[in-house]
Amino acid sequence: MKIVALLRFLILASIAAGSASAQTLPRTVDDRPNLQGIWRAVTRASYDLEAHVARHDMPAGQGVVDGGEIPYQSWAAEQQRSNFENRATADPLSNCFLPGVPRIMSMEFPFHIFQADDHVAITFEWQQIYRLIYIDDQPPLYGGIESWMGNSRGRWEGDSLIVEITDQNDGTWLDAAGNFHGNAMRVTERYSLRDTNTIDYEATIEDSDVFTRPWTMRLVLQRQTQMDRILEYQCQALVEEANGAFERDVRTWHPAALPADNEPFDADAGADLSLPTASSDVQRLADGTPDISGYFMADAGGANYGLEAHEGGIMLPPSRGQVIDPADGSLPYQEWARTERIDRALPHRGYDDPTAHCFLAGVPRSHYVPAPFYILQPPGYVVVLHERMSWRQIPLDGRDHLPDSLRLWQGDSIGRWQGDTLVVESQNFNGKAWLNEAGDVASHAQTVVETFTPVSPTQLMYRATVTDPIAYTRPWTIEMPFNRQDDELLEVACLEDNGDLQHLKDVRDEYRANQNQRN
Amino acid sequence: MTTRLFKAVLATTGLTAVCSVGTAVAHHAFAAEFDRDTPVQLTGSVTEMKWSNPHAWIYIDVEDENGTVVNWAFETRAANSIIRLGWRPKDLPVGTILKVDGFQARNGSSTASLAAATFSDGRALFASP
Repeated sequence: MKIVALLRFLILASIAAGSASAQTLPRTVDDRPNLQGIWRAVTRASYDLEAHVARHDMPAGQGVVDGGEIPYQSWAAEQQRSNFENRATADPLSNCFLPGVPRIMSMEFPFHIFQADDHVAITFEWQQIYRLIYIDDQPPLYGGIESWMGNSRGRWEGDSLIVEITDQNDGTWLDAAGNFHGNAMRVTERYSLRDTNTIDYEATIEDSDVFTRPWTMRLVLQRQTQMDRILEYQCQALVEEANGAFERDVRTWHPAALPADNEPFDADAGADLSLPTASSDVQRLADGTPDISGYFMADAGGANYGLEAHEGGIMLPPSRGQVIDPADGSLPYQEWARTERIDRALPHRGYDDPTAHCFLAGVPRSHYVPAPFYILQPPGYVVVLHERMSWRQIPLDGRDHLPDSLRLWQGDSIGRWQGDTLVVESQNFNGKAWLNEAGDVASHAQTVVETFTPVSPTQLMYRATVTDPIAYTRPWTIEMPFNRQDDELLEVACLEDNGDLQHLKDVRDEYRANQNQRN
Repeated sequence: MTTRLFKAVLATTGLTAVCSVGTAVAHHAFAAEFDRDTPVQLTGSVTEMKWSNPHAWIYIDVEDENGTVVNWAFETRAANSIIRLGWRPKDLPVGTILKVDGFQARNGSSTASLAAATFSDGRALFASP
C-alpha cells in the first residue's frame, strides 16, 4: 500500500509540475503559447542533418535525424553522394537561392517570429526572406503552384503550432551536405514552447519519390535575448559587390559626403501638409487601434517608372506623377542628381538598377514596385511582407534608431500611431537603392517619414516625405492609395529566375567598349 | 510529333498597335534591354513556358527565311500576375501555335519583349477574365 501511495504521490506531483510549467509559459491574449521574438537554431544541422565529423568546409555535428539516418531509396542515396561531392558549386545556397523549408529554420542566421490572430509570420535575416503562415482552416488559395518556400498552413494542437508545407519545388536541398528531396515533399512542422527562451522544433518529411518512409528531424530554437532586431544579410548583393558585378556609387552610398557645390538644403521649405482624414468606419483591433492588416496593392500610377508625371511610350509605361509637394509635381533635385537621373534612364544604365539584380527595393520603393504586400499587426509591431521577397518590421515601442554606423537597404523603421494614422520614421539607409527603374535618386542621407491613413475600410492613403540633403534641395512628398484586396501572396523567386540581367549587362558592356574605343 | 513551323516575318516599321502585355508590370527598364526600333512579328510553336518572376518567358520555335529553326525567347509579365488572371500552365501546352509581336533585345539575340500574342483562333494570350 505504501508503494502505491508513493506512486500516486509521484504521479500527482509530476502532473502538478507539468501544469505549473505550462502555466508559466508566456501566452498571448487568446491564451496561445507566445512564440513572438527573435530566435535562432543552435545546431550544426545546416551543414549536415546527419551525424558527421568535421570536414574542411563544415564543423562536426551529432545529427538531428530520428534514428540517425535519412531513409533514402537506393537511387536517391546515390544522388545524395553525388550532391555531396559537388556541394561547393551544386548547393543552391552557393547561388544565394531560396533555402526552402525546413532548411531555412536550421541556418545560423536569426529570424523573428511574429504572432498575429490568424497568421504567424517569420522574417529571416538571410536575404530578407519570410514565411507567411495562414492559420485559417482553409486550403492555400494558390495550392498546386510550386515555389521554393512552398505554401504554409498552420493550426494549433494544444500548445503546439503545427504547420503543413506543400507545393515546394525540387530546387532546394535540406542541408549543405547534399541531402535533398523531390517536389512531392510534404513537411509537417511542430513548434512547442519548452520554456520562455526555448522552442522544441520538429519537422517530419514525407516524399515517397525519394525516401522509403517518413522521417523526422528535431532542432532546438533559442530566443536571442541579446538582440532587439534582426538586420540584413543580402547574400547576392554581397557577392556582387565583392566580385565587381555591382558597382559602388560614390555619391549616394554610405558614407558619401555632402557634395561641396550642392545648393544649401532648405529643410523648412516642405509644405505643412495636413494628414488625410481617417474614415469613421475604420475597422479596429481589440486595443482600439485601426486594423490596417491584410493584402494590399498600391494604385501606384507608374511610380516605378518615374515619380514625376510623364507620358507613356513604346516600352515606357506612363506615370501620373506622385509628387504632391512641391506643388508643381517636380522633384527638387540638386543639379548633379538631376543630371544623374537623366543618365540613369539611358539603356546602358539599366544594369545599374539594384532591382534588376534582384536586390532590395528600399523605402519607399518597396511599396510601389509592381507587386502586392501583406500588412500584419502582431503585438507591438507593424510588419510588412512584400511579395518581392523582402520585409519591413516596424516596432511601435518608441525605441531608439540603430547606431549611425549600421546602414541597411530598407533602413531602420520606427512607428507610432498619431490618431488613426500610422507614422513611420526611417533612417540608417545604405544609399544603394534607386527610387524606381527610371533612376530617381536616393542617398544614404535620406530620412523618410511615411503615413498610412485608413481612409475607407478598403483603402489606405500612403504618403512618404523624403528629406535627403545630398540629392535634393528641400524635402518632398509623394502620395498614393493602397487598396485592400481579398487575395494571398505568391512567391517571387527573382534571383532564381533572373533572365534579364545578362542582357542588361551586354548593353552596358557594349556601351563601355565603344566609349573606350573613342577614348 | 512533328511541330509545324511558320516563317518569321521581321517587321520593318514600328508596331502601331499599343498593347501592354509585356510592359504593364515590368520590374526593370524594358527600354534598356529591348530596342523599340527593332520590332519583331513571328508565328511559331511553343516549346516551353517558364512561369517565373518578376518576368515569365515563353519559348517559341520559329523557322527563319533560310528554313532554319530558331528558338525565340519572349519575355512577358510576372508569372504571379498571369496566375492571378486565372491562367495556368495547362492553358499553354507545348505545341501551341502563337502569333507574337515584340521588340528584340539590344544584344541581338533571339530574345524579345512580348507586346502581344494571339492563339490561332484569335484569342489573346493572358487576357483578363
